[in-house]
Amino acid sequence: MKNLFNESPHSTPSDPLSRVRINFLFIFFIAGFIYITAGLAYRQLVQANEIMVQSDNQIKRVVIRPPARGKIYDRHGYTIVDNRVRWSVKADLLSLQPEFRQEYLSLIRKAKSDPTVLKINYDALSEQARLNVLNGWLDKIWFVIDANTDKPKRSKNASKLPLNKEERTVNLLALRKHLTESRALKFTLITDLAFPGSENASDPDEANRTVARFIEQFPQGGPISLESDMVRSYPYSTMAAHVLGYVRDSTDLPPNVDDFTDLNFDNLQKLRYTGKRGAAGIEQTFDPILSGASGWELWTKTSSGYNKELLRSSEPRQGSSINLSLDINIQLAAEEALRTIKDSTGNPLPGAAVMLDVNTGEILAMASQPTFDPNQLVNRISNKYYDEIENQGGWLNRATQGQYAPGSTFKIITAIAAMRNQVIDWDDILECGTSFRVGNRDFPEHGGEAFGSVDVEKMLTISCNVWNYRVGLKLGPDLLAKEARRFGLDAPLLRMPPSLSNPSTTELPYPTNRLVVPDPAYKQRIGAGPWNSGDTANMSIGQGYTLTTPLHMACLAASVARNETRTTPTIIHDPNRDGRHEGATSIGLNKDQLEAIRSGMKRCVEEGTARSMQIEGLTIAAKTGTSEYFKNGEKAHLAWVIGYAPADNPAVAFAVLIEGQLDTSTWGGKTAGPVAKAMLEGWLQENDKD
Amino acid sequence: MDNNRQGAKASIVALIVFIGLWIALPSTIRRLNKEAFSEFQAPAIQLLSKSRDLARYWELRSRSTEDLVAAGRDLARINATLELKLHAMEDIRKENLRLREMLRYPNSTEYLTVVARVATRDTSTWWQRMLIRKGRNDGIRPGCPVVFGNRVVGRVTTVHLNISEVELVTSPAFRCTAFLEGDDPPRIVHVSGVASNPFTTGRAKVSTTGLGGVFPAGLILGTLEGGVTSTAQGNLKEAYMVPSKNLDTIEEVSVLVPKYPTAGEILMSPTDRIKLEEFK
Repeated sequence: MKNLFNESPHSTPSDPLSRVRINFLFIFFIAGFIYITAGLAYRQLVQANEIMVQSDNQIKRVVIRPPARGKIYDRHGYTIVDNRVRWSVKADLLSLQPEFRQEYLSLIRKAKSDPTVLKINYDALSEQARLNVLNGWLDKIWFVIDANTDKPKRSKNASKLPLNKEERTVNLLALRKHLTESRALKFTLITDLAFPGSENASDPDEANRTVARFIEQFPQGGPISLESDMVRSYPYSTMAAHVLGYVRDSTDLPPNVDDFTDLNFDNLQKLRYTGKRGAAGIEQTFDPILSGASGWELWTKTSSGYNKELLRSSEPRQGSSINLSLDINIQLAAEEALRTIKDSTGNPLPGAAVMLDVNTGEILAMASQPTFDPNQLVNRISNKYYDEIENQGGWLNRATQGQYAPGSTFKIITAIAAMRNQVIDWDDILECGTSFRVGNRDFPEHGGEAFGSVDVEKMLTISCNVWNYRVGLKLGPDLLAKEARRFGLDAPLLRMPPSLSNPSTTELPYPTNRLVVPDPAYKQRIGAGPWNSGDTANMSIGQGYTLTTPLHMACLAASVARNETRTTPTIIHDPNRDGRHEGATSIGLNKDQLEAIRSGMKRCVEEGTARSMQIEGLTIAAKTGTSEYFKNGEKAHLAWVIGYAPADNPAVAFAVLIEGQLDTSTWGGKTAGPVAKAMLEGWLQENDKD
Repeated sequence: MDNNRQGAKASIVALIVFIGLWIALPSTIRRLNKEAFSEFQAPAIQLLSKSRDLARYWELRSRSTEDLVAAGRDLARINATLELKLHAMEDIRKENLRLREMLRYPNSTEYLTVVARVATRDTSTWWQRMLIRKGRNDGIRPGCPVVFGNRVVGRVTTVHLNISEVELVTSPAFRCTAFLEGDDPPRIVHVSGVASNPFTTGRAKVSTTGLGGVFPAGLILGTLEGGVTSTAQGNLKEAYMVPSKNLDTIEEVSVLVPKYPTAGEILMSPTDRIKLEEFK
């Protein structure tokens, strides 16, 4: 036979080399076959479970649902932070798929028939189709909400609801974000149906009417549904806003109700609803306690990523509640009084007021002006509202974060230091003129008046400056600073008790850590040169470098009332609190010396600088202060009053501070006194009830 | 044998073709077909109901004259009482109107009442519906509330020429807003769903809010039975409600037809988009 293929003689099967090749190939294929078979067997027999779990996980997802937050009560059990039901209108995008498709095809047809369209952007048309369909549904929803049920022709003017333009049409960016990040969840068309313009909450009747109209009139069973969740509600609006704080949207949800041990949770795809986490105040520091445990839903999903079938679920668990030490009546009285202290243009002056239980240190009221309404921050913080509060300086809790020179209220410390260090005794008299020369400068008496013979009691009654200059210079800055530190004027307060096992270190967030009790070393440290006797004179009357907070000064008043050096304030109510204060020791004055201090503070109200706060039937011990500070480069006054009541059997201590305007019309007794008086009247009313 | 097989095959093919055609038919034609079937069925339902009424009539005819005289006397007494109440109500209505005008308070929804006999009812199945012997010809529209006295029976879902379907208050799909007796301040309760915020416990009456524009205010839906349970979420509470009237024994109901169509009615009509534009 002719060798058509011109084969080499070496290629015949009888060739030993060919046989080797064939054998090699045979072995190669056998090995390959064994490898594949072994691999398949390994996957089928050994890895079967793992692969099945993986395949299972690919078609499942877990949706995490946030819990309702715990409530916050005042010391008498009144709810001061609650949750309200928020009704949201949501669209099920999976059910709307046929409508999207129909609209998409219609848009394509239109585009093709339009000669001006050169190139069709199919992605843009798909997005537009979704937007059109959702806007169509939104039109229907608003039609039902707006329509007057009496006569339809009136529908244009029927709704009293504030128009929230953002929720009248679908926000394209929000839709894009939803489709990218959480298309499995329903798309929110209206966030808060009862209060569609969350910036201006409508009246409750109108809110009820809106929800009722939707429930009774909107066709049910379709892709649009009404869903409820819980949102924070602050029934007293701005009351104690700085203490309570506010919440903010977060997908960092608290831990789940149950473990997912049988679900291999870590390998499942997770989707989280947006929940709320504390962003300020108690809401922030007690967030782990208030936030509860998240619930979950196990869904199968479609190939396009939508949720298909709910397999299992677990309800979220509401957070625990907290009882604050605040008393709403005293708190409201303090805030109302603060609002009435106005500048020449009629705007309330910034300030703070604190009232403590003398024995337990529990804070009965803590007000800071200007303030904000946490209800306005529930759905989201609008830039307009944020800027408004920012410009007023309303985010600052002046009671714990403001730093102020204590002014003449510091004279209590100067007097105690002088008597403890035998610089002067309670009945020693000093002659006080209209001023006192320190170095080459005359330090004036307030009001330019000469008070003549002044002892400790009279000094506190009339707030004599010259007495303090003289005594302060004798004491020296180190002893003055030592005494101020003994009373904790620069000590951190509101530390979280370890018993509460809360990760936050303080009961209220970010208390100021820039408190100053100055001494020569401090002045050196800040590079302000060597300490001089003028600095000591200033320090003795609470001026100069000394900086403290209203809460510290309220603690000082409470400590003096109990004849102790320290008061541990707390915002948490505990009816079994034992009244022991961390680091507290006796002040170290003898009976007469202590009586001189207390009597001076009492007379300060009866006949001295705090006369504006007299209350019939209540003896009050107080010390006023008017310190100077510079606001925008101009001299202004800080008005202070601190004290306790009843003077003979102290129960409450207080401190009030008002930041004066750019003149010197603000004075301790005159300006801050009425606020303290209002708080005491509030306390008296509560006391009468008990 | 082969002929039989071929016949069977042909039947299956015909069935498949019929199903295919039915699926492929436009929804309008299918809806029309369904409507036609309902209209075709309606006379039979009416006939059945009327024959029941006739049987009842003959049953009453068989009563003794004494019984009828006594019943007539009782009825006359009731009529007299009702006459007095009617006068009192008229005075209250006028006073109400005067006060509303004085306060410039918006008029509440006005209703026309259509009394209808119950044709059939089915409260045992999941759809829980009732058929009444009045329909489009009598002015009934979908969505109208159906009441017995001052008690809610349900809501009209579908209207044919001479009969209408009523979804009963016990149906899981029934939706309405209500207030609870003793709840101060009154808060909306979502009947057949979850209730908002804490409310009173015990046998509190549940009545319509009148805020939704469908049901007039103050109609009784039922009473709460058993305890109120909190959901794990916290503020939401749930409770069972027993309807105010035994729906199995109702013979006659009143349909409250709003004088003007509600927004919901307009949306439910097939040409809702056009009408929506009209009202914008």
